[in-house]
Amino acid sequence: MPRKINIALAQINCRVGDKKHNMDLMKKHAKQAREKGADLLVFPELSLTGYLTRDLTYNLAEKIPGPSVNSLKQVSRRENLHMVFGMLEHSEKTRGVIYNTAVLLGPRGLIGKYRKSQLPTHSVFEEKRYFRPGYQLPVFETDIGRVGLTICYDIFFPEISRLLRLKGAQLIICISASPAVRRKFFEVFTAARAMENTVFLAYTNLVGIEDGLQFWGGSRIIAPSGHIIAQAKYDEEDLVTGEVDYSDLKRIETFVPTLRDLRPEFFDSLKTHTEDL
Amino acid sequence: MKLKTEVLQLDSTTAEVRIKRFITDYVEKSEATGVVLNISGGVDSCTTAALSSLALGGSKVLGIFLPEEETRNTVDAKHTKIIAEKFGFNLETIDISSVLKACYHSLPIYEDQDKISKGNLKARMRMIFLYYYANRLNRIVCGSSDKSETMIGYFTKWGDVAADISPLMDLYKTQVRQLALHIGVPPEIAKKPSTPRLWPRQLAEHELGIKYETLDLILFGLERFMTPKEIAEHLKLPVTRIEEIKKRWLAAEHKRRGPLTAKLGYRTVGADFRIPYTTQ
Repeated sequence: MPRKINIALAQINCRVGDKKHNMDLMKKHAKQAREKGADLLVFPELSLTGYLTRDLTYNLAEKIPGPSVNSLKQVSRRENLHMVFGMLEHSEKTRGVIYNTAVLLGPRGLIGKYRKSQLPTHSVFEEKRYFRPGYQLPVFETDIGRVGLTICYDIFFPEISRLLRLKGAQLIICISASPAVRRKFFEVFTAARAMENTVFLAYTNLVGIEDGLQFWGGSRIIAPSGHIIAQAKYDEEDLVTGEVDYSDLKRIETFVPTLRDLRPEFFDSLKTHTEDL
Repeated sequence: MKLKTEVLQLDSTTAEVRIKRFITDYVEKSEATGVVLNISGGVDSCTTAALSSLALGGSKVLGIFLPEEETRNTVDAKHTKIIAEKFGFNLETIDISSVLKACYHSLPIYEDQDKISKGNLKARMRMIFLYYYANRLNRIVCGSSDKSETMIGYFTKWGDVAADISPLMDLYKTQVRQLALHIGVPPEIAKKPSTPRLWPRQLAEHELGIKYETLDLILFGLERFMTPKEIAEHLKLPVTRIEEIKKRWLAAEHKRRGPLTAKLGYRTVGADFRIPYTTQ
């Protein structure tokens, strides 16, 4: 297990429905990230296709592994880089079931995937119309540490990050397609999830405009202390890097012992009251 | 939340940046050479033209002033020139009186006293001129409708609202005035009483029977799912007045959407065909 890793966040302006364009963009950023010494490169939610694909979703979704994953596996291998990106995944069993998925690749190939648990379907968001939610919250044991994946609206639900932390995650990655009107939520929630769980958190957001929606960028790496290790620009494409030192976890866990102080009986009560909402 | 003027306070700096980015992005993605817009001398169109010019550069913005003899107004004409000079975009003036007269003469059921039908004809004629220019110059039509007028349906269907983009449509009138002043639109334009100029001496607030300061607060409350009773209590107005505005807002939905059809097919245009804007 490494003590330190270097993380790059690539907030890119994706072209809706154009996988080739977006993959070229990802390849370019992978090369740049490697030149900056990154061990891990994180792209935004649905970075392979753009976010607001609406009815194009059905024809853009692929299996995992599939052609796009196979192509990006080569990039990971060539650049000797771990990568996380977002894509539309269709089920192995039926074309009608589609997931909003984060994929984790390493230099040796596909490490794993995470299917978004919380699908926003309000205001401009219509994810439940298109996607089935995921039911697994995996933590991956990798050469860059124990990594948990989340996607965008998941960050509004503290139990997701908490569960990943309790499963041993040292680093939580959140890939996102957050429009500007939600910036305040994400700036607070990303810091809160890192601090309340004493975990590192890497957040990458889209930039650009899709159907009038403007994504605000502002990608960041947050230490368990709340310190912002790296911060990307607002509203513009950017690539930033920052170093995560896992040995800091012990110090912060001792100083702010939230994990020690967890009270399991509250979780039982939480479940009961949620069911009765 | 208390319904008072402060809730309509706009972060004008952010709004300016986002609107300019929106205009630039759309023009680039549509591969147009710029925008054409109807400039009337009012706050909405002057602000839209100014923002377009700040976003794209004046050479890519053409403001067309389309007066006609019944509503001709020298102050409006002066204001269009002031704003074009200040923000450096091209201005063209075309008098549409003769075209309108030709229409009146060609319509077998034309009735001069029916000012609504006649006024709407003027708004639609302006749209025809704008789209002709847009087609000829490979530009898009940039509309200047605001949220107050769009919500209550105070516009001509397929007329002044017809456009490819409407950058101000998510700002209430009072917020447009704030933004106008922020970007340097002269106060005499930013604060000028609004008029669609469809017939002589027409003034929006007089016709609507309500000040925009009050209307915007009512619409703001409706936007946030407040009931007419709650809004009436906040604003100390009769609940019937709020209900009238709410009814007007809901009844105008047909003016804001594409035409409704009977659902017959597998996927239906305007109903469950959901296609994103793309460049492909």
